[in-house]
Amino acid sequence: MEKTQTDNAGKRLRVFAWLGLLIIIAIAFAFVFIPAFLIMPFKAQTAQGVALSYGLKSWSPVVTVIAALLSIALIVYLWRGARWFGKTAMILSLAPAFAFVWAARQNIYERMFNPLSNPAYARASEADFVADRDMVMSVVINGEAAAYPIRQMGYHHIAQDTVGGVPIVATY
Amino acid sequence: MWEATVNGHKLNFHLAGINNQNFIMRDEETGSWWQQVTGEAIQGPLKGAKLNPVFHDELSFPVWKREQPNGRVLKPDPRVASKYEAADWEERYEKLRVVTPVERGDKLPPRTLVIGVKINGAAKAYPAAALEKQSPILDELGVVPLLLVLGEDKKSVRAFERSVDSRALEFFAKTGSQTLQLVDAETGSTWDFTGKAVSGQAAGQQLQRVAVLKDYWFDWKIYNPKTAVYTLGER
Repeated sequence: MEKTQTDNAGKRLRVFAWLGLLIIIAIAFAFVFIPAFLIMPFKAQTAQGVALSYGLKSWSPVVTVIAALLSIALIVYLWRGARWFGKTAMILSLAPAFAFVWAARQNIYERMFNPLSNPAYARASEADFVADRDMVMSVVINGEAAAYPIRQMGYHHIAQDTVGGVPIVATY
Repeated sequence: MWEATVNGHKLNFHLAGINNQNFIMRDEETGSWWQQVTGEAIQGPLKGAKLNPVFHDELSFPVWKREQPNGRVLKPDPRVASKYEAADWEERYEKLRVVTPVERGDKLPPRTLVIGVKINGAAKAYPAAALEKQSPILDELGVVPLLLVLGEDKKSVRAFERSVDSRALEFFAKTGSQTLQLVDAETGSTWDFTGKAVSGQAAGQQLQRVAVLKDYWFDWKIYNPKTAVYTLGER
């Protein structure tokens, strides 16, 4: 009688541990994918959506690591006494846990649009890579003139430079 | 284009997301998010801060080269040069769809290219097509007498306060010259595309430059909800 009770309590604990594992992975998933979904191109954004994305994105690097550590702890707890399919499920659940840790540290926008690695400049007379029909963003500060061709800017979106001694960021 | 220094600290910016088809950038130093078109921090520790705008132009390359023969030009990044937009990108972008709600009876279709001008809080959008039909455009924005003019390339746009010593001037395009030249009715002086009087009574005078933003109507309207719209011949 007593033995069955402890058995039942142990079983219930294991069910909770499994549930916990699922919930933890779902939370990590939400922290990584909700902001990616909310601030993606070609859809309308709201101020609240942007604020939520910012909150989730700021916390996702920490949250995903905690989620992965908790997953490992639960798996260690559940491992003994689990059957082969349970063990397989545990191993498989580690893959998303680690994938989310990685994903929370990626900038998909910089993967789509590589930032300028080593910005280099050509003299006006030697800039044969710009066509006559091309537009440039032009700036003159303290007598120094620089131009950022719009076809390049439309890809990189951001160019950081110092013109006439003033650090600037050209955006397009 | 913005100064990269806020409160004495130089910030480094990265692409971080999209907000209604205008991108968000994130600064490495504080992690704040900045809206590209307004230069304003919309999230994070610097929320509410604004970057200082840097006066700049959008010019076709030949006009830029003529004005700045000693300037320098950003080179293509060899790793990704194949991914840059094709030369006809403007035509293709006009066909892209717009995701923000389209108002019924709106003054312009959402993808209309406009020249946006903002002076002392008053905003006005000048359809690029209107300027192509009639250049220069003379107007008043608030109390400021304004001049919008298209360069000889029919693509570069500049705006000026068309007054000298608080006296408003009327400008006309001068025909028969290779580069763009304007003549004012009051002094008969000739002015070039930089807003400088090159000959005549006003020679040496420089018109005050006014910043313009070439933008799509739907985007201009989001950030300037009270904007007026110029119609040809309204003045």
